[in-house]
Amino acid sequence: MFRLPRSPRRAARATRARLACPVRQASGVTAGAALAAVTALAITGCAGGAIGQSTAASNGKSFVAGSYDTTVYAHGSGPVSPDVKGTTLTGQKLALAGYRGDVVVLNFWGSWCGPCRQEAPALAALARHFRSHGVRFVGVDIRDSPSAAGAFQRTFQISYPSLNDPGDEIALAFQSTVPPAGIPTTLVIGRTGRVAARIVGQVTYSALGRLITHVSAEAA
Amino acid sequence: MTARPPGGDRMTELRAPAGSGRRDSAAGGSVVPGGSVVSGGSVVSGGGGVAGGRGAGDGAAAGGPDAPAAASGDGRLARPPTPPGARRTVAGWLRWSWRQLTSMRTALVLLFLLAVASVPGSVIPQEGIDPAAVSQYYAAHPTLAPILARLSLFSVFAAPWFAAIYLLLFLSLAGCVLPRTVRLVGSARQLPPRAPRNLARLPLATSYQTARNPAEALDSAAGLLAGRRFRMRTGDGWVAAEKGYLREVGNLLFHIALLALLGSVGIGGIFGYKADRLLISGQSFANTVTDLDQFRPGRLVSPSDLQPFSMTLDNFTARYIASGNLRGQPAAFNAAIRYSARPGAPERRGVIRVNHPLNVDGVQVFLIGHGYAPVFRITDGAGQVVFDNPVPFIPVEQGGLTSEGVIKVPDAQPDQLGFAGVFLPTAVDVSGRLQSAFPAALAPRVSLVSYAGNLGLDQGQSQSVFQLDTARLRRLPIAPRPLAPGQSMKLPGHAGTLTFTGYRQWASLAITYDPGQLPALISGITAIAGLLLSFAVRRRRMFVRAAVGADGATLVNVGGLARSDAAGGFETEFAELAAEIRDAHGGALQPGPAGQPADYLASDTAAAFDDDQEAAGNDGNAPAGRDDVQGATGGPAATGDDGPVPAATDDDGLAAAGDVGPAATGAPAATDDDAHAATGNDAAAATGSEPSRGNAEGE
Repeated sequence: MFRLPRSPRRAARATRARLACPVRQASGVTAGAALAAVTALAITGCAGGAIGQSTAASNGKSFVAGSYDTTVYAHGSGPVSPDVKGTTLTGQKLALAGYRGDVVVLNFWGSWCGPCRQEAPALAALARHFRSHGVRFVGVDIRDSPSAAGAFQRTFQISYPSLNDPGDEIALAFQSTVPPAGIPTTLVIGRTGRVAARIVGQVTYSALGRLITHVSAEAA
Repeated sequence: MTARPPGGDRMTELRAPAGSGRRDSAAGGSVVPGGSVVSGGSVVSGGGGVAGGRGAGDGAAAGGPDAPAAASGDGRLARPPTPPGARRTVAGWLRWSWRQLTSMRTALVLLFLLAVASVPGSVIPQEGIDPAAVSQYYAAHPTLAPILARLSLFSVFAAPWFAAIYLLLFLSLAGCVLPRTVRLVGSARQLPPRAPRNLARLPLATSYQTARNPAEALDSAAGLLAGRRFRMRTGDGWVAAEKGYLREVGNLLFHIALLALLGSVGIGGIFGYKADRLLISGQSFANTVTDLDQFRPGRLVSPSDLQPFSMTLDNFTARYIASGNLRGQPAAFNAAIRYSARPGAPERRGVIRVNHPLNVDGVQVFLIGHGYAPVFRITDGAGQVVFDNPVPFIPVEQGGLTSEGVIKVPDAQPDQLGFAGVFLPTAVDVSGRLQSAFPAALAPRVSLVSYAGNLGLDQGQSQSVFQLDTARLRRLPIAPRPLAPGQSMKLPGHAGTLTFTGYRQWASLAITYDPGQLPALISGITAIAGLLLSFAVRRRRMFVRAAVGADGATLVNVGGLARSDAAGGFETEFAELAAEIRDAHGGALQPGPAGQPADYLASDTAAAFDDDQEAAGNDGNAPAGRDDVQGATGGPAATGDDGPVPAATDDDGLAAAGDVGPAATGAPAATDDDAHAATGNDAAAATGSEPSRGNAEGE
């Protein structure tokens, strides 16, 4: 393509030029090396930095794969969900407090994320299936732009609203209790407002369907 | 949920060969288990097994624990042979292993090993530093790479074998430093030794006669020395004083700080984390796992431990030198940010520059890189705007900051679209080829190759956003043409339109949290301070003896001894002190005799130095003569008004001989009162019950 030839000398000059202060040559080497790492992997695909990740070296590709992990809390024992509110991709105000008494499925996603795209049909179908059962689906679109996210929702015929959260403020609200530990992450919040389950990694129709059925059967 | 890197199972795999090796040595029944110092850790347990087998087997195991000790040649006294018996032998082996592990030699070997073990870290690409290089290595060496990965050579500093060296070194140092610390504490609390019999044999000595009676003379000398903050000890006819215990304090500080330093580094590795994030101007991010590009947690860090700050990059500016030899070199980078320490906390403004990180609740955010993010608006074949984003392009050279990047449009209809291309901040035509001549965006151009088809994203695969998987993409028949901001490119076959709307700059940030950093700094400073203290301060002793001489006048002897090798300056201090003591006594009646009469027993002098030897860690008093020789050679102590005191070498010979026992030395001393004092002193030393004023003061 357009790759320019990279000679070692050029690389050395690159290291030097990275630094604002030519005086600090010694630290420049480290900064340059670290920079190379960051620039090479910055915004690595999906599940950016999930825990227990396998890294580039172990899977031979430059992305960080998520660890698939489901946590289910016994009825009433999960942490209380913070009151998440914000503006949806279509500009409407939305607050989870308005859904109290319903089961809420909160899905953190991005249009650029492969696993999110793979689980999207299952989520869309489940949302349709459970609509009449008092189960609300809410997406949280992170690190994305409204135009790309809107295109994603059209592609997968997503009928439920998604909060626009480019700065990941909503994930931060869950930080101290059930932090989304990768993209995608799905939280199931019970009718009492307590988190009933967390799924890190992509969901499947049957597994998430069973979980929702279980949680919605719990007393309010 | 705790973060556990995939090294866990590797560790057990690595352990297996070590265990089998141990079995081998047990089967072989070799006398020296393990042999090498390196495997010291496994020897502790393995040695026990071997010894147990031997103890059951034959009675010749007596040499077991001691033979290797002798072989080690560390100069320790061999213990009496252990009687055969499994339990004793096991204990013996354990003791031997511990002694080996904590020896200075082992520590040095481990330190050397640590250095050698770090070498692969700089030769082989490391996951933590350059994951892209590791990927390239995998591609280039498909058979070798998995083997290296199995040996943890792509993450040397997280490897189990590296940790083994580190932990053994820590154990070795702790095992060496802690007992030494206890000994230093004892040394720092020690009282001065009894005054030697013959003060004239000390490196610094003076004597004179005074009209005062001995008790008065000693009282006044003791008061004077105590006023100078000497630690005092008095006896019958003598006063001993010592100063400079700070030296031991410094020594102690150094050793404790050394341990604390190691501990701090460990704390950082366990509770700290590192993360990276590339942030485009105008974007914001939160310090949460989903919002980080890379996250490298310590062993006990879970996602909920991350400090919940959020940050917006308002503006990133880079200034470059515009002319001269350094044209194109960066002059300044400036990232203006807003941040709040936790959700709901007030927002603050800040600036991050190279080497000037932002500190949020102990988390440091460094600026480590920058680049351009051209903004594209893409309309698909159906006429929908499916993309309107800045896309970070990665610099591939620094002179002109030529950058490469890819655009993925997975939701374009009818086909997914992909683009790969270059961004040239200052595009110039060099013989028909576009190049970037300057890193600032003076004439930005972007040139793209277009693809349509399947991006491979919908199969649930995570992809690097900087790579385009062209396996199921077809290249669109449109020649790449440099686009200026605002220009569009119509894709063939009604696939859509791409517009290069402008560009932004991005900054890459390194987020590091290391709770061991401050303790490590404090420990380091303390260690150096302690070392300086122990170098600068020397322990020095003053002795005063007063007795009624043959002519009825009181003969006062003053002696001084600086304990360390660096005794420089003590001569002056001694001369001043001696003069003060003499003045307090009303001055000398007449100059003292140049040489000391023979009624001073040399043996006592040696005994006084005995304490030195003990502090140095020697059990026997045999080498006590060494100090004597020093005293003899350093003899001409041009200190007082009395002139040099010749030190008779004959006396030294006597000292060494007399050192054998108090009875022998006591015999020739039976001429006057001093002899009585001498035996009395010895007895007191033996029982350790001598009451003295100095005792009370010292504690």
